[in-house]
Amino acid sequence: MQANDPNIKWIAEPQLGLTGKMYLPLVAQGLTTVMKHVAKAVIGQTVTVSYPEEEPTIGNPLIYRGVHRLNKDDKGRVKCVACFLCATACPAHCIDIVAAESPWNDREKYPESFSIDELRCIYCGMCEEACPVDAVELTSLYNLTGRSREEMIFDKEKLLSVYDMTKDKEPMKSTAMGGTAT
Amino acid sequence: MLEALIKTALMIGGVMTAAAYFVLLERKMAAWAQDRIGPNRVGIPLTKIKLFGLGQPAADGLKILLKEAHTPSQVDKRMYLLAPIIILIAALSVFAVVPFGSTVPAFSLFGFEFGDIAENQQVQLVVAPGCGIALLLIFALSSIAVYGVILGGWASNSKYSFLGGLRSSAQLIAYELPLGLGILSVILATGSLDLSVIMQHQAEHAWFAFAQPLGFVVFVIAAFAEAARLPFDLPECEQELVGGYHTEYSGIKLLMFLVAEYLHMVTAAFLITILFLGGWHLVGLTGSSETTTWFTAIVRMIVLTTKMTLVVAFFMLVRWSWPRFRFDQLMGLGWKVMLPLGLVNFVAMAIFYELRTNFDHDWTSWTWGLGVIALSWGTAIVAWFVTSLSGAVMSDNAPRRNLDLYEVDSQI
Repeated sequence: MQANDPNIKWIAEPQLGLTGKMYLPLVAQGLTTVMKHVAKAVIGQTVTVSYPEEEPTIGNPLIYRGVHRLNKDDKGRVKCVACFLCATACPAHCIDIVAAESPWNDREKYPESFSIDELRCIYCGMCEEACPVDAVELTSLYNLTGRSREEMIFDKEKLLSVYDMTKDKEPMKSTAMGGTAT
Repeated sequence: MLEALIKTALMIGGVMTAAAYFVLLERKMAAWAQDRIGPNRVGIPLTKIKLFGLGQPAADGLKILLKEAHTPSQVDKRMYLLAPIIILIAALSVFAVVPFGSTVPAFSLFGFEFGDIAENQQVQLVVAPGCGIALLLIFALSSIAVYGVILGGWASNSKYSFLGGLRSSAQLIAYELPLGLGILSVILATGSLDLSVIMQHQAEHAWFAFAQPLGFVVFVIAAFAEAARLPFDLPECEQELVGGYHTEYSGIKLLMFLVAEYLHMVTAAFLITILFLGGWHLVGLTGSSETTTWFTAIVRMIVLTTKMTLVVAFFMLVRWSWPRFRFDQLMGLGWKVMLPLGLVNFVAMAIFYELRTNFDHDWTSWTWGLGVIALSWGTAIVAWFVTSLSGAVMSDNAPRRNLDLYEVDSQI
């Protein structure tokens, strides 16, 4: 593109006023702004969260994307119907499901094993969106640590226990957000 | 001899520790200006005592000492090694003539006598007392520091370092002139290059920040440029030149550069305090007599260091207040604004002081004193208005649109 291209719209630089030309008033203005921030920080009004001592507050836990959980229905059974939609949607291929014939009458399949590699997961929330029965959800647990790679592959029992841990604080999104699915 | 050694140890230990803790202060200030807390974890090692992060400088120093001191293969090894040594030596030897207080009464300690107690002599709190060329020495040594920067930039054999060194040389030469002009009128008033005498003069008359406002402003701005602090840190601006002249340095050699940089700032703060802000003098607290008791001596020391620390804090606040100059703006400011203002200040002061000496021989009349101060404030305000409204630093930033393409090509 040339400098004299008619499609370029040229905008003139704004002219400096008298205070701008005198320089010192603007100098004082800049310094005052910084001083205000310094004074505020010195009396303790900072945005820093001293993490191990204090926990950050999570704005809305229902839309936070942390560790996964597998939801249970009201009879305590796993809600998942092993349809593989989450595993298909997962861009990181971190979900591994082995399906089996369901022992219950209301569905055909259930996951014999269901594991998520938490190290491989990119926490995009696509599995949650793909799930037709709201079985897999992301909780607001963010401080996930482990001592080995094997430990970080969460199996069905572990994912169900995450549900037990978080069900009181974070209700199932389908009900909390006004949905009707059970 | 012993006296000089003790003072040297005090001064070197003092400024090196101060430099280390100013790094912490700078990081704290940076954090505060950005609504953060800043480093507050490192305290006493192997315990859980945090001490507000006061152990941070020791940890930083230890870390950088234990880092690999890597020498790139293409450098000019002798020059590469020489540069940090030159710059650190120059930065440290300045403190030989910088006083850290006024005087203390003569005393004896462990059988050694400091000063002549029988004659009630005073011990001057400066490593080289009565140095008649103190200011010249400071200027000479700070010019040598430029060699360290240029050598470091050249010997590193890297384009970033080289550009940093080039920028530094142009900048330091441009701003040494207004710096000198700012000092000249102070020397004119006191008639001495000795910093102790200059402080004594201010205690008896008026601080030069009040008596010579224009000189003060010019000197402070030039001191920022000399210390290569923001908004004048073009020699090492991270966004453009990685690290400027010390891009290729690591380990202890980098540490020497960084310490020297901080020492430049401490020197600049000391000079601003001593030359313009009255040094150890504070009305109603320190008195202005040439001899001291132990009480006034200690109060004066505290006043001087407090003022110096406040000036350093100002340096750090400025860092977060304004963006960096562009290089042509920097040069424009140096040559078109600072130099004329410095000259105006110098000439005006020469005329005013000559007038005052003619009519008020020993500078005792209050009327003449206040009159000269009023005149210099008037001169300062008029000169500032004229330079600002003449638009000396304004530059036309609009692109030249009427150029044909081949002309643009030939300019690249």
